[in-house]
Amino acid sequence: MTAAATAPVRHLPSRAGGAVTLSAARLLRIELRRSAMPLILPVIAALFWFDSYRFATGTPPYWVLRTFWNMGQGRSFVDFAPFVAGMAAWIGSRDGRRGTADLMAGAVRARWAAQLAAWAAAAIWAAGAYLVFVGVMFAVYAHQGLQGSPPWWWVAVGVATVTAFSAAGFAVGAFFPSRFAAPVAAFGAFLALFVSVGRGFGHNSTWSLILPTNARGNYQLVSGIFYPYLPDLPIARLMFLAGIAAAAVGMLGLPARAGGAWLRGAAAVVTLAGVAAAGTAIGLARTAQLTPHGVVIPALHDAANDRPIAYTPVCAQAAGVPLCLNPAYRRYLTEVAVDLRPVLAEVAGLPGAPTRVAQVAGQYTDGMFEFEAGVAVSITGSPPVLRVPLDSFNTLPSATGGGPKSAGPGSGAQFDQELPLLAVHMFVGAGNGAGTPAQQAVQAAMLQDAGLAFAAQAQALTILGLPQWAPLDDQGLVGGSASAAGPGSPAGPVYAAARRFAALAPATRHAWLAAHLAALRSGQLTLAQLP
Amino acid sequence: MNVEISDLTRRFGRTRAVDEVSLQAGAGVFGLLGPNGAGKTTLLRMMATVIPPSSGRLRLLGRDPGSYGPRREIRRRAGYLPQNLGYYPGFTVAEFVEYFALLKDMPPRQVPRAVAAAVEQVGLGDKARARLRTLSGGMLRRAGIAQAIVNQPELLLLDEPTAGLDPEQRVAFRALLRELGERSTVIVSTHLVEDVGAACREVALMDAGKVVFHGTPDELTARGEGTGAAGDAPLERGYSAVLAAARSATAVRS
Repeated sequence: MTAAATAPVRHLPSRAGGAVTLSAARLLRIELRRSAMPLILPVIAALFWFDSYRFATGTPPYWVLRTFWNMGQGRSFVDFAPFVAGMAAWIGSRDGRRGTADLMAGAVRARWAAQLAAWAAAAIWAAGAYLVFVGVMFAVYAHQGLQGSPPWWWVAVGVATVTAFSAAGFAVGAFFPSRFAAPVAAFGAFLALFVSVGRGFGHNSTWSLILPTNARGNYQLVSGIFYPYLPDLPIARLMFLAGIAAAAVGMLGLPARAGGAWLRGAAAVVTLAGVAAAGTAIGLARTAQLTPHGVVIPALHDAANDRPIAYTPVCAQAAGVPLCLNPAYRRYLTEVAVDLRPVLAEVAGLPGAPTRVAQVAGQYTDGMFEFEAGVAVSITGSPPVLRVPLDSFNTLPSATGGGPKSAGPGSGAQFDQELPLLAVHMFVGAGNGAGTPAQQAVQAAMLQDAGLAFAAQAQALTILGLPQWAPLDDQGLVGGSASAAGPGSPAGPVYAAARRFAALAPATRHAWLAAHLAALRSGQLTLAQLP
Repeated sequence: MNVEISDLTRRFGRTRAVDEVSLQAGAGVFGLLGPNGAGKTTLLRMMATVIPPSSGRLRLLGRDPGSYGPRREIRRRAGYLPQNLGYYPGFTVAEFVEYFALLKDMPPRQVPRAVAAAVEQVGLGDKARARLRTLSGGMLRRAGIAQAIVNQPELLLLDEPTAGLDPEQRVAFRALLRELGERSTVIVSTHLVEDVGAACREVALMDAGKVVFHGTPDELTARGEGTGAAGDAPLERGYSAVLAAARSATAVRS
């Protein structure tokens, strides 16, 4: 220590707004430099790599599919939020743990201002890391040539989620300053997300749509390809999460020790505004409706987002029938043509046979991956057009040859079976149901000719959820009523008739179909009437 | 007078930590002596506007800290080193001092120069970029003093500032105290009577929440002469004699 006189720097009070801003910026700079939040980022990075990025690498190369697990279902939020909340609680409990309360209480600037600087630094690190990690992931996806467009709204929801959890965690630490604040906040955050995910799978109540990891209605497979991502639900969630963050941060300014009466009044206003925003967002979510292209919230909906994305189809020929797909599905054009060729050749020239194959956007009725079976593929129009919504096949072969999570390497073959199966199912007039025994037998025979053996057909039908007696499969496809009758075992009467029909010469079969197709479709034929 | 206290009381439940204390202090170094639990820290915390008094009158730098505006002004012009200095281990010395300079509402453009001066004054110039977690106890204490003096306070409140300092540092610190006392009111709470003798112009001795002596160090020394009170130095004997007299008077009254 030196008693040497140093030029006094006694100061005048700083009142100017610029000085306040500069002071706040310097406080923030110190907090950013010394925030503990970066310490947890390597753990989050590892988790993000294994849980969010690698988990989705096997999915087909579409933005909407590749990002569903990590953003639509919120895995990236789950990777971040508990750790961020825990570390924020650790930072928030700093004054209590470190015994700086007297120093803070004796300062001119309100304790709330100091807390805001510490929280802001923590939130900037956490939200910045989220953006960097997601940015790297998106850069990799872009390099891989994913089709469609990125789900930017969901990135914003992710940033808001991370920020809200950092605010909530910080508040827990500030109000309960102990070494246990961090684990309690982290566990609480994990529990909240766990419940949120659970509600997404198990509940239909619309208010729960507001929860950030509730996957219901988050994504439609047509999003970013046929239609824009609908921003309605993300906007409501942003409101909700911003409200939570504001309420948590505002609460820090309510205690008497936080600052003067004016400041506490401001904190009360922030808190109430946050609660109001969150409540309004929940109210908006309660008005949500699932439409064919995503979740619509009337008060937030912009009709311009319902307009389809314009595109020029890519086309090929299958058995002389023109086949056109959305250019995003160009990579599947040849495969679709190969898969449909036997069926189209079989039905060529028959009344109602498709003269064209066109890809259409899927029609969704109950959230991600869920559609009414049978509506997926249709033969309509005059001349008839086979309309195929490829996006509803969550077994699209992926870039790496495998399918998504549970489909495994067999999904390419599965995809090859589904297209002809659905096309034939529609052609024989079975519609959404199992079809009559005669329709089932003709369908089985045509599929046999198309390369799908009798023995494999039952499994293929079950996986597709067709007909509706098929149980729910492991990918979320909807089963239907147990009362509907299926074709039974391959040794049963339906398959016996199918074997008879398949054994006929192609020309004979074709001639019989030309004569009896209308009766078959209307359900008037019995098994005994089959040749 | 920068500090005017009359009948100041602070209760914690049924305990009267400070009991109707009256004091006045102008420019110079004012020593606050007393045994553990005498109420020195509570009195300093009230003067630092960290806690409000339960009753009595307190005016600091000519202002009433009971009102929000004057309290902010007092805080802007005061410096405070708590007995238990809390700190953020990840901060460097300079950041720690800068952090509290900014919280004291110093004009941000003056802060870097003021921080450098304060750190230099406490002899930590070569440790300005060292993290606080790497410092010894004495160095931490000096960092705490630096944050207290960074705003060139008119009222400086130091609670046990020399705890943990080695003899050389204590000598240097007393010189710093004397220099600061030339232009400010410095109130130093301490157990160490030699600090008071070396640096203080006035001294108050507290016991059981009350001021039992108020005068100069020489007057305190004189109280011990010929009493046979315990102590190795004259000031210590005065300290012991005053405490003994106060306690026997309390015993008689009760």
